[in-house]
Amino acid sequence: MSTPEAIAPGAPDLRSGPRKERIKDRAFRVAMLFCLAVALATLVALVAQVAVKGAGSLSGHFFTDYASSFPENAGIRAALLGTLWLMGVCAAFIIPVGVATAVYLEEYADGTKWWNRFIEVNIQNLAAVPSIIYGILGLAFLVRGPFGMGRVVLAGGLTLALLVLPVVIIAAREAIRAVPPSIREGSMALGATQWQTIWKQVLPAAVPGIATGVILALSRAIGETAPLILVGAPIFIAFDPTGLNSDFTVLPLQAFNWISQPQSEFKDLAAAAILVLLGVLLLMNALAIWLRNRYQQRW
Amino acid sequence: MSDRVDELSEEERHTEEERRQVGSGDGRRAATPEIHTAVRTSDAEHSRQARENVFELRDVGVAYSGKPAVAEVSMDIHRNDITALIGPSGCGKSTLLRSLNRMNDLIPTASVSGTVLYHDQDLYGPGVDPVEVRKRIGMVFQKPNPFPKSIKENVAFGPKILGMKDIEDRVERALKSAALWDEVKNRLDENAYGMSGGQQQRLCIARCLAVDPDVILMDEPCSALDPISTGKIEDLMMDLKERYSIVIVTHNMQQAARVSDRTAFLIVELDEEEARQGRLIEYDETEKIFTTPTDQRTEDYVSGKVG
Amino acid sequence: MAEHTRIHYQEELADLERHGLGGLDLVVTALERTMEATEHQDVELAQIVIGDDDRIDGRYLEVHQALITLLATQSPVATDLRLISALLHVIKSVERMGDQCVNICKLIPLSGHEPPADEEMLRRILMMGRQVRTQIAQAKRSFENRDIDMARDLVRQDDVVDNLNRECFHLALEIGDDADRREWAMTMMLAARALERIGDNCVDIGEQVAFIVTGLFREFEDASHPGEQLLDAPQA
Repeated sequence: MSTPEAIAPGAPDLRSGPRKERIKDRAFRVAMLFCLAVALATLVALVAQVAVKGAGSLSGHFFTDYASSFPENAGIRAALLGTLWLMGVCAAFIIPVGVATAVYLEEYADGTKWWNRFIEVNIQNLAAVPSIIYGILGLAFLVRGPFGMGRVVLAGGLTLALLVLPVVIIAAREAIRAVPPSIREGSMALGATQWQTIWKQVLPAAVPGIATGVILALSRAIGETAPLILVGAPIFIAFDPTGLNSDFTVLPLQAFNWISQPQSEFKDLAAAAILVLLGVLLLMNALAIWLRNRYQQRW
Repeated sequence: MSDRVDELSEEERHTEEERRQVGSGDGRRAATPEIHTAVRTSDAEHSRQARENVFELRDVGVAYSGKPAVAEVSMDIHRNDITALIGPSGCGKSTLLRSLNRMNDLIPTASVSGTVLYHDQDLYGPGVDPVEVRKRIGMVFQKPNPFPKSIKENVAFGPKILGMKDIEDRVERALKSAALWDEVKNRLDENAYGMSGGQQQRLCIARCLAVDPDVILMDEPCSALDPISTGKIEDLMMDLKERYSIVIVTHNMQQAARVSDRTAFLIVELDEEEARQGRLIEYDETEKIFTTPTDQRTEDYVSGKVG
Repeated sequence: MAEHTRIHYQEELADLERHGLGGLDLVVTALERTMEATEHQDVELAQIVIGDDDRIDGRYLEVHQALITLLATQSPVATDLRLISALLHVIKSVERMGDQCVNICKLIPLSGHEPPADEEMLRRILMMGRQVRTQIAQAKRSFENRDIDMARDLVRQDDVVDNLNRECFHLALEIGDDADRREWAMTMMLAARALERIGDNCVDIGEQVAFIVTGLFREFEDASHPGEQLLDAPQA
């Protein structure tokens, strides 16, 4: 610091404040950067470890072979297809149901009625329920019980959908709430009905937020293992899932199985399976983000 | 100097002819003086049109959760007039305006008492659909609120959802009526948010006009705009009143003085329970309100002594 | 890009200016009839002028009310404000000029139906009438064009009228002892005085032109400082 210059009496002193405050400011910034570095480093370390272990096993036949007792013949074909099928079923369920629920709660529900408040409270709770409970739910109602469809793709997909539905509902509600009331007023003042306003103004404007919610939901669903175990998805499948009614397995289950094998080669395969899972996840996210951006640019 | 005198001789000859034309009309009889209150020719035509009421308000009140915001307003709003509602903050002028197109229905705690007759029909009568009401009585809001769509889609939205035909024509006509066509005709597919505030507000007016309303309600349409944009919209209002009836709420009383034909002045008063409610004090021709108001409170407000 | 707004108000103000200046046309009509009635002792024509003054008064009230309304509702500033102030003065001058014509016409039955006593006086009065008529036209033109030079020239023209008025005065002094002739001469002096007042009103209109353009309210030539021109030469 230069030697302090004399300040004319009455003039405001614009020089820096006491040193202690400046040190605190800088220390705070350093601390935050440190936390960020730790988080990033952890993530990088995890991914790097998996990549190192599994990259070697990523070959063409890895994608086209079914599971096998011999590591050199084992592949993720059935598991990958099963994952994709399940994500499809899940998305097909959570988007309409989640958005419709959010629209009801935000646009039509009278907040003073007790049943609406009951629904509100429970949606928050449902998001916090452990995923294995959903497995039991799926087993009891979908696989056996009233629906009795068996351990099929539809049952697995619906179980996952119920699990992540609250995420979509909450995100969609936030997105709908974020649409300014002036848009609604402008639409209603032209003589539009409430439904026309929602369908043509509110929902299109809420698409980015809803898309984000769907991405979050599917990202969670893709990695769920416990509920699918309870639903009873087998581990060893040597055929492609053919439809909603066919048996299936998924990537996390396959990885879980391989880890449990004694041979060390299977552990490498598990790492590779995880890499593929990450890859599918990134692709799904990229697709959703692309869709979101495209919709945003249209207006 | 003589040149100028010659010039003037010619001038004199011209005026001579003019005078003969003027003089021939009255002949040799004394004419009675006609004292008009204003020399605005459009107003002269106005007074010759049938004085039809587009709204008749009888003891209209609006309350939120039982607490009155506006009390017992009775007034007749004439067709093809620009009627201004002025008064201090909180006097309920926006609330009153919104009761004219049933926008208060959107607020669950609001209730309307009294009678609002629209072309002799009770606006709040049984079986009256607010959606139908709003198709005929449009509204422009204080802050321009274009939809997050293109300019064309903004204006076309109303006609499309009402199932009207010839959407392209309607869009063009509406934008022309709103004095916006020349500025946007080459960029109809651009995002409406790219326009300036004044243009956005004119877009909102075009959007309102596209559904062919009967009445246009304007809630402080210029308060978010700069003086030039305000001037343009005021000129637009004067053009629009040929075909529409306009009711405008404004806290800028010079604006009310400039554009309106009749002005209603409301105040805030405290009732028995110390609650604030709005009340209509004076409703008359604008010229009278601003030159010789009847009520002292009106005079104090328009001369800026009391706000 | 210059944007034009408040079109309706601008048109209204322009219309009002035309309507107000149109009062000068009414005055010219009244003046010409007055001079004709004076020349030919036409009592009927004089009565018509007196009756038609209601039109001039009506024009005054119309324009005055409209100007007040414009002041109240349009908040005019700058040139518009000066224009409205000037118009208020101008229509007052118009109304007064109309009254002066009426004053002259009211004299005409009094001077009887005999031929005029003094041809010289009558000639001068008719000349004053023509000169004043020119002045009115020039005043109107200078206002329409905001032409200060033309407005200031009204002073020179008014000097002619003032000279003629003085000549009439001297002629009246020497008219002799005949009672009828003296009576005639005095009524003619009243007429001359009225014409001279009309000329002064034209100069007032010219001063209003200068006010609109310069914003300065000064008399071209003050009665208390005869012969001096008080208004500065225009800056380039």
